[in-house]
Amino acid sequence: MSGPVSRSLRSARVLIALGMILCIGICALFAGWIAPHDPGDQNLLSILTPPAWAAGGDPSYPLGTDGLGRCILSRLIYGARTAMLVAFFASFGAMIIGSVLAHISGYFGGVVDWIIGRMVDVWMSFPPVILSLILMVGLGVGLSKVILAIILVDWTRFCRVLRSEVLIVTRHDYVAAVRLLGFTHWQTIVREVLPATLPLLITLVSIEMAIAVVVEAILSFVGLGVGSDQPAWGQMIADARQSVYQSPWNLLLPILGIFLTVTAFNLLGDGLRRTLDVRFSETGR
Amino acid sequence: MFAIQADELTVGAAIDGVIVPAIRALSFELEPGKILGLVGESGAGKSMVGRAIAKLLPSGFKVTSGRLLFEGTDLVQMPPGALRALLGRAIAFIPQAPMTALNPVHTIGAQFDEHLARIDEGDRASRRDRALTMLEAARLPHATDLLAQYPHQLSGGMCQRVLIALAFSSNPRLVIADEPTTALDVTMHPQILRLIADMQREHGTAVIFITHDLRLAAQLCDEVIVMYAGRAVESGPARAVLSSPAHPYTRCLQLANPSMRAERRALYVMPEQMPSLSQLRDMSGCHFAPRCPLVAADCRRVEPPSLMLAAGRNAACIRAEATSDIGATQQLTSAPAISQRLVLQVEGLEKHYAAGRGLFGRGRIVSAVKRASFVIAENEFVALVGESGSGKSTIAKLLVGLEQPTNGRILLNGENLTEATTRSAALRAISLQIVFQDPQSALNPRRRVASIVTQVMEAGSRHAGWEELRAKTAELLAEVGLSADLAARLPGQLSGGQRQRVNIARALCTIPKILVADEIVSGLDVSIQAQLLNLLARLRAELGFAMLFISHDLSVVRHLCSRVLVMYRGEIVEQGPVETVFANPQHPHTRALLASVPPDEPEVAWSMLQAAVN
Repeated sequence: MSGPVSRSLRSARVLIALGMILCIGICALFAGWIAPHDPGDQNLLSILTPPAWAAGGDPSYPLGTDGLGRCILSRLIYGARTAMLVAFFASFGAMIIGSVLAHISGYFGGVVDWIIGRMVDVWMSFPPVILSLILMVGLGVGLSKVILAIILVDWTRFCRVLRSEVLIVTRHDYVAAVRLLGFTHWQTIVREVLPATLPLLITLVSIEMAIAVVVEAILSFVGLGVGSDQPAWGQMIADARQSVYQSPWNLLLPILGIFLTVTAFNLLGDGLRRTLDVRFSETGR
Repeated sequence: MFAIQADELTVGAAIDGVIVPAIRALSFELEPGKILGLVGESGAGKSMVGRAIAKLLPSGFKVTSGRLLFEGTDLVQMPPGALRALLGRAIAFIPQAPMTALNPVHTIGAQFDEHLARIDEGDRASRRDRALTMLEAARLPHATDLLAQYPHQLSGGMCQRVLIALAFSSNPRLVIADEPTTALDVTMHPQILRLIADMQREHGTAVIFITHDLRLAAQLCDEVIVMYAGRAVESGPARAVLSSPAHPYTRCLQLANPSMRAERRALYVMPEQMPSLSQLRDMSGCHFAPRCPLVAADCRRVEPPSLMLAAGRNAACIRAEATSDIGATQQLTSAPAISQRLVLQVEGLEKHYAAGRGLFGRGRIVSAVKRASFVIAENEFVALVGESGSGKSTIAKLLVGLEQPTNGRILLNGENLTEATTRSAALRAISLQIVFQDPQSALNPRRRVASIVTQVMEAGSRHAGWEELRAKTAELLAEVGLSADLAARLPGQLSGGQRQRVNIARALCTIPKILVADEIVSGLDVSIQAQLLNLLARLRAELGFAMLFISHDLSVVRHLCSRVLVMYRGEIVEQGPVETVFANPQHPHTRALLASVPPDEPEVAWSMLQAAVN
């Protein structure tokens, strides 16, 4: 008998994804120690230098500099900090709002379900990027505002997907059985329903993290993300547009950062879904 | 020439890299126009025979040796193309679940036409005529209308008739019917069986009839093979085998089946259950030995050969001569006296559902239960019988409070439970419990057995101590006859019978005054069913509780209950003591239910099947 945790840790997908996330996470956490330069420091004497190994590269700027002479590596590392902060807080926030409403909606059904369902419908009919842009205009720029905007846009995803899972679990006789044994609604949801929906919840969170990274990049790209004093990958892409012909790596490196982070979270989500979902494991795979 | 002949057929299954035989050296011969019954409990390998013929074995299973000769040609060696040409034409199948065997998005006519086109049955018009002829032969009314209908518009019984018509439309020489009535209502059984028998006789088809019901096999089949753990333990002419079984397993199965007409007796309880494939791997000797009442030292050492007892009669048992001495070992647990004190009173209970209510218009009102009134006294086991959709389960849900009645009253120990209040919920929690039909769904797959059976002690603000929980778990598991080391298992690691015991144990935790049991032995094998029926009788004697036992199996009802309520279309149409009602049924539905049970004695002709012969 192996528990879900040990089963997950035997999955190659999960292990690779966790490894990648750990690397990015360390960069984010210890950016101050790892980064060779301050990400805001401009060196106007050496702008658009190529990476250190290319002709004309400067060893003190391992990945070269951007149009204002800022160290790309340092900006990437600090950008990872922004991306990770947004990924974690936004996805957990969206998860909490979405899953609480999903459990209430799916468990009680009836009018409550109808109201929450319609609310989600209306919410989801706004294009998500436009909605977050509008929110950012209203809220103003800043890390916490980005997180809030993503939470407000993406809770519906959790709510809709989880609600159908809650509905399925609630139809099982064991949920009816504990109600008849005298469990309160709260006890029933927490002890019987939640453990069954948890695998899906965890999977959704990891996928949401990938989405949050992309959304944050988009918002920063249009200049409505974190403040201009805080490095972000989206911002780097926006800055690199002007010099894309002179120094393509300026554009490619932050894209690579986004790509790796999103891949890692998606891989984690997929791996967890395979190992945690009872429908996969009960059939003996 | 034989229609089909199996010659030492062996089907192996790969279990953890080892090949375990799921069918071992099965040999039989079936002449054209005869019916061969394959009888046994689930896991005996009977369905595997049909799948081997169609080459539709589950992954990991394959024919490892032996031959399957269809009219002299070996199906095992046959190239897939040639086999495909036979299937659907010369060999046809009648499936177990008729509702899922038809494609829901095509009309019956389209599906018939597709099948007939595949077997090259003329042009469109002649195919249509053929379809109509076959549907009429299957005694389906309004065959023309039926062609334009979709499967969901038909009842399960009608779907099965359509499938039987389909199967026989190609004039097959062999038909394999795998439990064709199991998924249907009991009242449908005789008609479906009669139809198969008639079609078989008319077309001179050889039929392999797979069933778990010995009484049915005795009525329908010419020859039977009783299978146990992949082996044919006994074979011979159906009536001879079932009237004087030579193998202890056949005899034990018969004794485990409650009787409809004979005097009530204790059911014979075979210990444990049929070994699973992974258990078979490590077994030597006779596979039935661990459960056999006649077991001798030799049985555990060597596998007994199949011995010929008479012409065409074989049994794989070295002690076959003693089989007839096996009798019920247990005394019928005497039921405690039923007192006059009423536990449950139900008065004029009604439940209406609004159906088909759209945005506009009022919609119809469907009454699931119409003015049901009954009482249950202390320690009394009352049965609620009726076909599916008659409102039995709705009554159960109303009683336990999962649904609210539209009208009427429910009194538990004189206290009104009709209103859904915290007080009525609390009253129910301590004295009225339900055992759900499907333990798979009723047990949380993520909780351990120990935590499931003591779940009630987690309810509300009660906080039972660790010691208290452990003591209660041990006590409950012992009561339902489960070993204490199962406490740490998850429901997925238990067998069907064990799961149902856990299910019962949970309901008994508070020692309720009344249990509502919804079809709790329906999905189980006869030997497991006997274990549970005896368990319920013993628990009543020990703990004292009343029960509303919902079932469609009248022989089980007769065995366990003293009074019966017959439901038909939401109404209780008849109620009274079991013996009286069964001996002298008043309502046509009660009569239909009674007629659908084949007689216990193989010699006695079953009137329902006989009517067709003449």
